[in-house]
Amino acid sequence: MIKRSFFALSKPRLTYDLLEPDPDGPRAIPLPDLVTLLLTEAIDNTRPALIKKGDPMKKGQKLALYEDSTAYVVSPVAGTIKSIDTYPDDFGEIATSITIAHDPEKTSEIEPLELPEDISSAAVHLKKLPGAPPFDILADENFTIRTIVITGADTDLLTTTSQYVSTAHARDLEQGAAILKRLTGTARVCLALPEGINGHNRFNSLQVLKTSPVYPDTLPAMIMKDHLDTVLPAGKTPEDMGICFIRAEAVVSLARTYEKKALVFEKHLTLVDKAGFRHRIKAVIGTPLRHIFNQLDIQINDQDRVIIGGPMQGSATFTTHHPVTPETDTVVVQDREILPKISDTPCINCGKCIQICPASIPVNMLVRFLEVDQFEEAAEKGDLEACIECGLCGFVCTSQIALGQYIRLGKHELHKLRAEV
Amino acid sequence: MNNTKLTVSHAPFWHDGDSVFQKNLNYMLALLPAAIFGILQFGAPALGVMALSLSCAMFWELVINLVSKKPATIGDLEAAVIGLLFGMMLPAITPWWLILTGTFVAVFIGKMIFGGIGSSPFNPTLLGMAVLMMSWNMFFDFDTAYVDYDFAFTAMAPLAAVKTQGAAAADFFALGDLFLGREVGAIGAVFGLGLVLGGIYLILKGYSRWELSVSFIAGILITAFLFHAASPDAYAGPLFHLLSGYTLLGAFFLITESASSPVNRIPMLLYGFLGGFMIILMRNVGDYADGTILAILLVNVVSPLLDNIRPNALGKGMNNA
Repeated sequence: MIKRSFFALSKPRLTYDLLEPDPDGPRAIPLPDLVTLLLTEAIDNTRPALIKKGDPMKKGQKLALYEDSTAYVVSPVAGTIKSIDTYPDDFGEIATSITIAHDPEKTSEIEPLELPEDISSAAVHLKKLPGAPPFDILADENFTIRTIVITGADTDLLTTTSQYVSTAHARDLEQGAAILKRLTGTARVCLALPEGINGHNRFNSLQVLKTSPVYPDTLPAMIMKDHLDTVLPAGKTPEDMGICFIRAEAVVSLARTYEKKALVFEKHLTLVDKAGFRHRIKAVIGTPLRHIFNQLDIQINDQDRVIIGGPMQGSATFTTHHPVTPETDTVVVQDREILPKISDTPCINCGKCIQICPASIPVNMLVRFLEVDQFEEAAEKGDLEACIECGLCGFVCTSQIALGQYIRLGKHELHKLRAEV
Repeated sequence: MNNTKLTVSHAPFWHDGDSVFQKNLNYMLALLPAAIFGILQFGAPALGVMALSLSCAMFWELVINLVSKKPATIGDLEAAVIGLLFGMMLPAITPWWLILTGTFVAVFIGKMIFGGIGSSPFNPTLLGMAVLMMSWNMFFDFDTAYVDYDFAFTAMAPLAAVKTQGAAAADFFALGDLFLGREVGAIGAVFGLGLVLGGIYLILKGYSRWELSVSFIAGILITAFLFHAASPDAYAGPLFHLLSGYTLLGAFFLITESASSPVNRIPMLLYGFLGGFMIILMRNVGDYADGTILAILLVNVVSPLLDNIRPNALGKGMNNA
């Protein structure tokens, strides 16, 4: 963990971890006996379900709960469904977890794939590729996407997954970008890549945006501001402004799917263990984290923290059975001894958050509104919606207020309030 | 399912390790040089005054915590800083009951009734001092306070001398003497060098903001210079004002109090300057020999207003096309 320096006249500077010049390849994690898939739809017992416990599965088969569901997952293995359970996320939204027992004898049972020739059928078949390509957004007629930015620069600290995938698989990335252009008809596809790593010269057909190594300059809103001359209006998404961000790994997966004419299921990730050592691994989507920890001999004890994502923006999971999903780039394990404290001391108005906030939000005012649940006022006078959720205010807070939690909860409640009106 | 109970919380999962305790500990450390010099200069009574003041402030906060059935908050040392600063602003022969009363006003009315740490619209220490000065003004006459002392330097309170005898009295005091503490005054306010060193330490550590201190000093110097230039006989020079009375304590420890000061850069600069300007105005035009306490309390009121001058948030105020 990065601590405050002895002298702190200016604001602290957190920098991204850059890919080493000659990176090793990922360690492949063997396929577990059980894979778990997370489906973003709640179980509704009153409706007839399409799938049930004991159903046989082919590799590559699409699973959806109901006839009219748009949410789906794709089975990475052939086998049978072992269980279907509800699975709450950290805001209490209910998802469904589907556990599939892998049957090694049925490896040849693969669902045939017809390669999509337009973006809406890509949304129907390829949404769950490793890297989770945002085909829903690209296919949505409400958005006019003029620019696609491939994020080869990791958005959080400690991790190097995106940098590794984009530079080690530069050829696939360029091919994937070409397929993306063909499917969407978008003229401009750029690649955001941190300056200071090797491999910038591997891309001929893509415009490379060199991002600075200072956190949070690779977050979408910052890339838009610094490289695309577009300021993201408060409360809007990049899609509203005609810009779509896509993980480098999604583009690489797309190219491989078209090349092999079959779906791919292996996800690259960076796992940071308790000692801060970085493991680059490759695991099939659905692999429970516990299986990976066992493979790497990482001991998880009570009160440790397992973070899906990086230290500044990730989310902590409550179970080591949480699986690798198409979005999982990073897993950080923190020992309980080093967990920072959170206190209920009120804001002392020291101004460190104001000094560090990249979005110029009056965090000291904002937190006063959020503490008393005044969400509309927080949006109006505290600029709640301008927050890009980089987490820097919570990192420097002298009072150790859980600012990130207040802000995320505030946005969540604000959306609920506005939806009711 | 296994039963490993993981810790779950929201991002960010890192913290720079700073805390209110650390901040206040550093504040007290930074105050030490000036406080120790005060003890050397004014002897054991000075130590007694500061010790009583510090413990009284913590005692009152604990009492209020217990009465209001809230968890004890004295562990964050905020009350200790208030108490220490309070003691340092008193003459060395202050009676015990005055300290007991003053710290009560500072901690209870200045801080706790507004909701405790971070919520006080006024600097708590100064609020306590202001009430004492209004109520028992005779104890703040530094000339009578030290009649029993035998000093090797001009034993006159500089600001009071200038107030009663005119600007010519400033010539009795060499600027070097004022800076090195060879003057009578409050225990912790006489040793300019110690205060400057402590203040610079806090600024470098990031616990107080240079914008406030620098603009405050600029406010003092510029305003005093203009007065002095207009009428050198009536008004003392800028450096005399900077080095006497509570000015340096104010510049590095009072104006920088975080709850009552602005947080944006331009407001901080305006606020500090306004504070310095008001002090000189009170000294030269007003009735008080040293206007530091009331001037800073006055600009405390302006702080929330000034803080409205701030940059637009990212993407704020754009049309929602």
